[in-house]
Amino acid sequence: MKLSTKLTLFITGSKLAIVGLFILLLPFLIGQIASNYTNFSLRNQQKKVLQNINKKGIDYYFEGDNSYGSYTMLKDEYIALETVAQTLKLDTIRDTKRIVEQDTIAYRVLSFTFQKNQKNYLLEIGKTTASINLYNDALQRFALYVLIILIALSIIIDLIFTRQLIKPLGQIIKLRLTNSRFPFKKKHGHINTSTQDFKYLDHSLISLMDQINEAFEKEREFTANASHEFMTPISILQNKMENLLTEESASEAVQEHIVDMMKTLERLKKISRSLLLISRIENEQFSKQDEIEPQTLFNEIVEEISHRLEEKNIQINIDLSHNKRLSNINHDLLFQLFYNLINNAIKFNKENGSIQISDHLEKGYYSIQVSDSGQGIKAEDIPHVFDRFKKTGHAENAGYGLGLAIVKSIANYLNLTVEVHSIPGEGASFKVIFEIEQRNNKSIT
Amino acid sequence: MKVLIIEDEKTLAFEMEKFLKKAFFLCDLAHSFKQGFNKLELNQYDYVLIDLGLPDGDGFELLSKAKKSNPDAAYIILTARGKLEDRVAGLDMGADDYLAKPFFLPELQSRMQAIARRKFKVAEELIPLGNFNIDLQKRFVFFEEELIELSRKEFDLLSYLLLHKNRVLTRMQLSEHIWGNFVDDDYDSNYIDAHIKNIRKKLNGYAPTEWLETVRGVGYRIKK
Repeated sequence: MKLSTKLTLFITGSKLAIVGLFILLLPFLIGQIASNYTNFSLRNQQKKVLQNINKKGIDYYFEGDNSYGSYTMLKDEYIALETVAQTLKLDTIRDTKRIVEQDTIAYRVLSFTFQKNQKNYLLEIGKTTASINLYNDALQRFALYVLIILIALSIIIDLIFTRQLIKPLGQIIKLRLTNSRFPFKKKHGHINTSTQDFKYLDHSLISLMDQINEAFEKEREFTANASHEFMTPISILQNKMENLLTEESASEAVQEHIVDMMKTLERLKKISRSLLLISRIENEQFSKQDEIEPQTLFNEIVEEISHRLEEKNIQINIDLSHNKRLSNINHDLLFQLFYNLINNAIKFNKENGSIQISDHLEKGYYSIQVSDSGQGIKAEDIPHVFDRFKKTGHAENAGYGLGLAIVKSIANYLNLTVEVHSIPGEGASFKVIFEIEQRNNKSIT
Repeated sequence: MKVLIIEDEKTLAFEMEKFLKKAFFLCDLAHSFKQGFNKLELNQYDYVLIDLGLPDGDGFELLSKAKKSNPDAAYIILTARGKLEDRVAGLDMGADDYLAKPFFLPELQSRMQAIARRKFKVAEELIPLGNFNIDLQKRFVFFEEELIELSRKEFDLLSYLLLHKNRVLTRMQLSEHIWGNFVDDDYDSNYIDAHIKNIRKKLNGYAPTEWLETVRGVGYRIKK
């Protein structure tokens, strides 16, 4: 998952969780607040009544009677005073029901007893519970709206900010990693960012790529020079041996020795040529202007290699059904690439084995697959099959270990991908993938 | 036939000379641009072999100068650079052929022969070979009047051996001639044997092929 997606999900998720929790708690909270506030106001009124009694005397309320009661007009509040038995002691607030003019009404009642003039009085102040919770819904709704608006605003701000913040990271990934193919020829400027970490990352990547390029360049130069420098001495030795071979004085035994020496020299020559070919491909010394029909190409290859197929009695089935023309490619290199793959498919095949060549057309891709019925490649060897001078196992017919290295460098040069799949004991298959140009997508950068 | 070999590696030039002499070419050697240029001014050659990597000048320049003084000569470029552009440039500048070092000496001679056929219109009649006749130009093998079907590679092999008759050619020399210096990850190519076997099989149906000899441990030879 991309960082931006993760951040978006996290920000939205965490805020929604907070909103959810708040919505769940809101009725309870508001109920609590209203209840506490009511209790508080009941106590306030109690204080006022007691002050009045102290100031004006209890008879101010009783006016000769032994009880006093007063309701507000809608009966949502009342005050009552009466004399009670000396033993009664009360100081409570509780919800209770009262019958007032045939209506049963739920009240919150403050009951308080106090001594005045050697008499025990009970003061009751009541408030209907309905009036306590009157504003709860409205309050709740209002709080909810405000909260939702605030959260939405904060989500939007967060998203815009994080998007802005990690934008350079996306640019770095796109420019330096996804869109950049080895060797990193194209030079791009630095990414514009004020974030120290991204700057550091970008600079490090650039310098890493430069280092890789430099090392690669050196190796390429060395390979080209070394293999080229070998050619003249090899030439001299080879021609000397050829002349020696035709010398009248050379006995049969000597001739055989000379041929043995020539064989060894041949090996050296082929290794040098292979390395030279790789360095030439890497130096891009081949044009990419050919158009190729795979069927024709494979016919040519099979003609060239038929003696090897016959030797092992290997059946080759070429099943190219898509009739695709490949353009912007180099004929000789593609020939060499498939020649090497088929050559390997023969080399590592068993007697009377088979080779399958098939093609596939997928969205944006065309691929040709070369599969054999040979001994296959061990899973741990697969990552190294394209390495130079890498020979896996089979000493007697391994060649120099440059065949697949050449395949790899040709594929790199022609922008092809080669995938290897193998089940040891059952065979290996190499899939060469051609990206089909999609002109419509070119404008997208 | 007079050949000028312009090659700064003296040993190499000497080996080429030695080989070509045996094929009855008259050889002249030059080891630098200057020497080569002087010899070209003084003499007329049938073949000029030019190494591109001369120490005192560009081989291409020498080629263009030589074409003025020796317009009728056949030019073969020799190079260790082996770059594709060199080949194209050389052929564009009027070279008749191009050989990348290291090359086998019989290959050099066969290229010279091919140029001769092309350029000097050396009309070769049917070449007799045992009871067979071979038409190198049309690439036919006849037994009396009957045409014998050989594959392209089989014919190449036969005509190459014929060109170098009485000389043993190794399997390496033969296979490089047939498959070119195409990069191949295999160092023990005995596929020549299979082709020879096929040639013998096809021809033996008509007449014996004792002239096609196997030289044990070395290679093959046509004896005439």
